[in-house]
Amino acid sequence: MSASFPALLLRLVRNETLKVLKRRRFRVVLAVLAALLSLVVFAQARQQAAAQREGRGSDWRASAERRATQMERRAGSPRIPPAFARYLKYEAGRLRYHLEKGIDPNARTGPAFCLGFAGLGSVLFLPLLVAVVASDLVSSETSEGTMKLLLTRPVARWKVLLGKLVAMGLFTTLTVAASAALSWGLAGFAFGWRGWGAPVLTGFQLGSGGSLDVSAARAVPLWQDAIVSYGLAWYSALAVGCVTVLLSVVFRSAAAALGTMMATLVSGTILSRVAADWEAARWFFVTALPLPDYYAGLPTPVPGMSLAFCAAILAGWAAAATALAFVLFVRRDVTG
Amino acid sequence: MEPGTGGDVVLVAEGLAKRYGDREVVSDVSFRLRRGEVFGFLGPNGAGKTTTIRMLVGLVRPTRGRVLIEGFDVRRRFEDALRHVGCIVETPDLYRFLTGRENLEHFARMLGDGAEGRIDSLAALVRMEGRLDEPVGTYSLGMRQRIGIAQALLGDPTVLLLDEPANGLDPAGIREMRELIRHLAEERGLAVFVSSHLLSEVERTCDRVAIVHRGKTLAEGSLDELTGGGARSLEELFLERTGGETV
Ligand SMILES: Nc1ncnc2c1ncn2[C@@H]1O[C@H](COP(=O)(O)OP(=O)(O)O)[C@@H](O)[C@H]1O
Ligand SMILES: [Mg+2]
Repeated sequence: MSASFPALLLRLVRNETLKVLKRRRFRVVLAVLAALLSLVVFAQARQQAAAQREGRGSDWRASAERRATQMERRAGSPRIPPAFARYLKYEAGRLRYHLEKGIDPNARTGPAFCLGFAGLGSVLFLPLLVAVVASDLVSSETSEGTMKLLLTRPVARWKVLLGKLVAMGLFTTLTVAASAALSWGLAGFAFGWRGWGAPVLTGFQLGSGGSLDVSAARAVPLWQDAIVSYGLAWYSALAVGCVTVLLSVVFRSAAAALGTMMATLVSGTILSRVAADWEAARWFFVTALPLPDYYAGLPTPVPGMSLAFCAAILAGWAAAATALAFVLFVRRDVTG
Repeated sequence: MEPGTGGDVVLVAEGLAKRYGDREVVSDVSFRLRRGEVFGFLGPNGAGKTTTIRMLVGLVRPTRGRVLIEGFDVRRRFEDALRHVGCIVETPDLYRFLTGRENLEHFARMLGDGAEGRIDSLAALVRMEGRLDEPVGTYSLGMRQRIGIAQALLGDPTVLLLDEPANGLDPAGIREMRELIRHLAEERGLAVFVSSHLLSEVERTCDRVAIVHRGKTLAEGSLDELTGGGARSLEELFLERTGGETV
């Protein structure tokens, strides 16, 4: 008999990791991440500079007050769709609460940018980067013909796939960690690297009728909020990884798997914005992806979705996708 | 141990059949493979040779029949059965973005049991020691074929399955391949299964032969038995058994 199962799994994961690195997929992920973050930081720095030139922005209270008033006025307009009016009222309420507590909701610091990116990135960007690596894991072996070697070694198919899933988890973790580190590091150049201890308000909830409920809101140090937010971003990125591995099992070509995932993410995001009141949208995993936003109590596109509900939706999709991937991978004929 | 597999027999294929959709591409393939022999699996293109090999190594699930390797059923005891097998199915596909050595290390890690320690001696055996650290993407077909054989031998198997190993090689390459196959059977006692659509190649390389035609094995025996001690050529036998169709 050969060595123990954990030792074998470790060697399988090492193989998968080696292949991802040698294919240079992860390098592309890091490069795209750095490029996009630089762009966003640059744009925000320009915006801030322009605001300061015009004399705005020097007093965050005045600008928050102005925005809150604007939103309340627009929310009252009959031409605004009800879902958007709810969003505006909620957001205005959030701003007013910040004013009341004397905490700048849009403080521009490296750590604040990093925190904001957890929510921003988990909608579309982190899932896409995770999919770049995950879509390749199985389909590349199919299309390059190496699958028949991989599956004629004395290692049961489910173990081979498990090795690939663990590698997916590993690179997903690295991607999320890299996005936290890079967003802080790059934003630091423009807005400074300090500010981890600043208070942020979190825990807003959607009350009955779509109004803002501040009873659970509280101020926590930013670093604490960032750890929770990136933990949640990691959780939803893992769910995306599991669904992408299923696509990678189904499709012979990595491009088809990645393309399908991209189309799903983009159309899911659009769907949750334009059809927010459509009941079925809440069962779709893309709607549940921005867990950090649900946690922070930011106004979310589909009303009535709690953090726990979204986490459960993602877990359900990930579990179903993984189970299906195992069944297909273990049972199917390897031809051609 | 399953019954009927003792002694020299290392691989048994029993009544194998495979249906794709409503087309049965293999309908009745049976043969036995013995230690130390080179076994030719001879049939024209499309006869079902590759499909049979895919069933032998568990890539494809047979519609009927079973495969025993060293007494282990490939479907029920996959890991125990495949531990004794090395194979190249259809084309010697390897990771083109890895070097020859990295490829061998990759598959050695799947085996454990000190397989990594055999890499250098196997590279020498297939005469690839000089190019081992170059990317496989730069190798010729013949070189990939040889690294493929080294890979197949990493686990110290008793059965080696090669799917048309002469395909795409030049005459010198074909001869080298033939010598390597004979060496593995005669010196190392491996059972080597070689599929081919080339009569002459099979005649030159193999000890025993099975003729496969339209998904059925029509005859199995030593070259001597099949040709009546040389009374007729393998070609004549083939034409007779397949009703005049050429290889
Ligand atoms: N996955 C598949 N689906 C349908 N038909 C197949 C498939 N694979 C092979 N075939 C058919 O089965 C027959 C036997 O193919 P194959 O086993 O590759 O023959 P050989 O290796 O002897 O040339 C061919 O007619 C081929 O077209
Ligand atoms: Mg073939």
